[in-house]
Amino acid sequence: MAALAPHSPGIDQTDTLLWIGFVAATVLFLAVVGGLLYVLRRFRADRGTEPRQLSGGTGIQVRVGGALGAFAAILLVLSIVYTEKARETPATGSAGLQAAEQAPLKIKTTGQQWLWRYDYPNEAFSYYKLVVPVDTAVELDLVSTDVVHTWDVPELSGKRDAVPGKTNHVVFKADEEGTYFGQAATLSGEAYAAMRTEVEVVSPGEYEAFVEATKDDIQTAQDRVVSLIESGDTP
Amino acid sequence: MSAPARNPELVVAGFPRSRPRWTQIATSGDHKDLGRVLIAAALGFLFVALVELLLMRLQLIVPENTFLDPVTFNRMLSLYGATAVFLFAVPLALGFFYYVAPLQIGARRTALPQLGQIGTWLFVAGAAVLYAGFLFTPSEAGVNPLPPLSGIAFLANNGVDAWAASSGLATLGFVLISIDLTATVRRRRAPGMAWRRMPVFAWAAAIGARLLLVIGPVLLAAIAMLLIDRNYDGIFFAGDSGGSPLLWQHLSWIFYTGSYMLVLVFALGAIAEIVPAMARKPLFNRNAVIGSLIAIAAIGTLAWMQNMLTAPIGLGWMYFAMVMSLALIVPFGLVFFNLIATLAGGSVQMRAPLLFAAGALASIALGLVTEVNHSMVAAGWYLQHTVDSTAATHFALGGAAVFGGFAALHWWFPKMTGRTLGETLARISFWTMLIGALLAFVPLMLAGSEESQVIDAYKFFDATGVNGYNLVATIGSFVLAAGILMTLANALLSRTGGAPAGHDTWGADSLEWFALSPPEPHNFDVLPDVRSPRPMRDIRDAIAHRSGRDEERPARESQPVA
Repeated sequence: MAALAPHSPGIDQTDTLLWIGFVAATVLFLAVVGGLLYVLRRFRADRGTEPRQLSGGTGIQVRVGGALGAFAAILLVLSIVYTEKARETPATGSAGLQAAEQAPLKIKTTGQQWLWRYDYPNEAFSYYKLVVPVDTAVELDLVSTDVVHTWDVPELSGKRDAVPGKTNHVVFKADEEGTYFGQAATLSGEAYAAMRTEVEVVSPGEYEAFVEATKDDIQTAQDRVVSLIESGDTP
Repeated sequence: MSAPARNPELVVAGFPRSRPRWTQIATSGDHKDLGRVLIAAALGFLFVALVELLLMRLQLIVPENTFLDPVTFNRMLSLYGATAVFLFAVPLALGFFYYVAPLQIGARRTALPQLGQIGTWLFVAGAAVLYAGFLFTPSEAGVNPLPPLSGIAFLANNGVDAWAASSGLATLGFVLISIDLTATVRRRRAPGMAWRRMPVFAWAAAIGARLLLVIGPVLLAAIAMLLIDRNYDGIFFAGDSGGSPLLWQHLSWIFYTGSYMLVLVFALGAIAEIVPAMARKPLFNRNAVIGSLIAIAAIGTLAWMQNMLTAPIGLGWMYFAMVMSLALIVPFGLVFFNLIATLAGGSVQMRAPLLFAAGALASIALGLVTEVNHSMVAAGWYLQHTVDSTAATHFALGGAAVFGGFAALHWWFPKMTGRTLGETLARISFWTMLIGALLAFVPLMLAGSEESQVIDAYKFFDATGVNGYNLVATIGSFVLAAGILMTLANALLSRTGGAPAGHDTWGADSLEWFALSPPEPHNFDVLPDVRSPRPMRDIRDAIAHRSGRDEERPARESQPVA
């Protein structure tokens, strides 16, 4: 029932709510099925009891309905409390990336058939793999260039849809370095099941080195293309 | 020239000759013939849906399987979704409503039979279009074809158009039948059959018909927009030109959520007929059950945005959907409570209809408590779009349609055919289905909630911890299918070979058991004067009183003329 080892404050709160929901669901289910099995066994016709022709009044309906309503109300309050905690933007911790101009660190995330593209603040970008600093609040601005995709890395965050024409947001703060896997979760066509992603959580220094190196690589590649075009030497 | 006859002659000119059975059914405006067409077609498409489900489960038996290629899998998925909803669950519910409700309220015919007739054959036409699509290219856009994927830019072949035409025709048919049902329940009740005396299943029919009158046109509008977008350069769902892909999500989810509630109202309404008769007790509190069914239809449909928690909609709307979903705990809980309280203190005969009814209640309960988790916003962000959703929908909606539909089938089959379904085969079928359903969908709950296996995918990867779950789920779905096939075979065999049922098969209290089995085309030769919610019981008492066998039972005040 629990999320796979939560590694971000938001999904940690969600995990608590999942446990609450699991207990509530178990209570409701056992009440229905337990009651049903009990009366089906206890009042079998072959026991020879004459059926009592009684009906229930309004009073008991109000009491049962009231109890169910109170149960639902408690669930509602708990859900709102934990949902508000889960969607809170966490503060970047002491081990995190302090140099970020924006808080949180904003990364534009684009869903496209069948790959995720991540655009970092310094204009570097990467496909498939997202690299983020540890202990740093990260906000993904989700957009789509084609169809609806759902971004999901369960250890870091709940799911959000990338829909063309609208921006959606994912916020997380990874508490441990490592690699977390995710898979897109809305049918997006032929290769939908292969549309996966990977979040690599590294130290702030490694993150900065990665985005700088990536930016340089991209610049080098672009310069090479431009020089090839100018020299008329394109294949 | 002979002298004129002294006695009047019998005139036979113009009297319809007996026609072949199929011509009679194809041209009939009788709600019983049309109801049987709907039910038979629905059960046939249940078989087709099972084949599609099994093909998909075979693909998902081991990681990275190549049994079906991705495109074929997506076609199976799209066909399965359309078949299960538009060609099985909704027409099965409507078929029973349309057959039974007019009999229960003591109507000799429906109010607007032409509409019911057109509606039924529009549904058949819709089904034909969907499977004619098989000849060229079925849709690849999934159960709910979300734009932009279902747009012309991404799926240029006419599969989505076939889907849209098919579900549009079927939905239009459902709406027309619902108009007839609504008018019939309003205008054609027998003398004394006040609303407050109407059987719970007739109430369910009235509620379901009104619900379809609301949600049917919403989907028809959405389908019209989809067809315009695809074929006439429309921009209703184009996010970059002033339209919005979310518009489709709202409109389609209103329909899907509403029809989910419709099937639940159908199953619970049928079970509320079966339980009192099999317990030989009146329903614990009729008004609470009827009120709860109304609340389920209304509040449940308002929770449509529960399906859109991950979409970019405002948090306030998510909370609105959650309030509606959690509020459903009250009416569903009251229905369960009243059914259990009806059984308590009764003299319970565990016949096949009650067995299936109990299975339906357990399955619906399991599905709905899982849906409670999916509706709590932050938990929904985590759980939705996983195979846990698949499992919850199949336990609640599928449980209502299959277990609940089979309970209704076993209950009213004697009325429709004059014969009962074989009891032994029914019991074997039930236990096979129950074991199969648990094996098929409980592992998916675990794979979804623990390992986040995503929904609708044509393959899963090794080392994601879901191999065992999927293997068991595939085996379970074959067991489930075997159980379902047993009941379908039972129905085919018992139609002519079952034990004669008699007209008052179960000793139930509603008026359909006053008609012959199967009923005459005009339903009733005479109609009783209804004086209570239990007219058949009054009739039995009156007969017992007249024939002087009432020493043991005191005479009752109301003695309607039978």
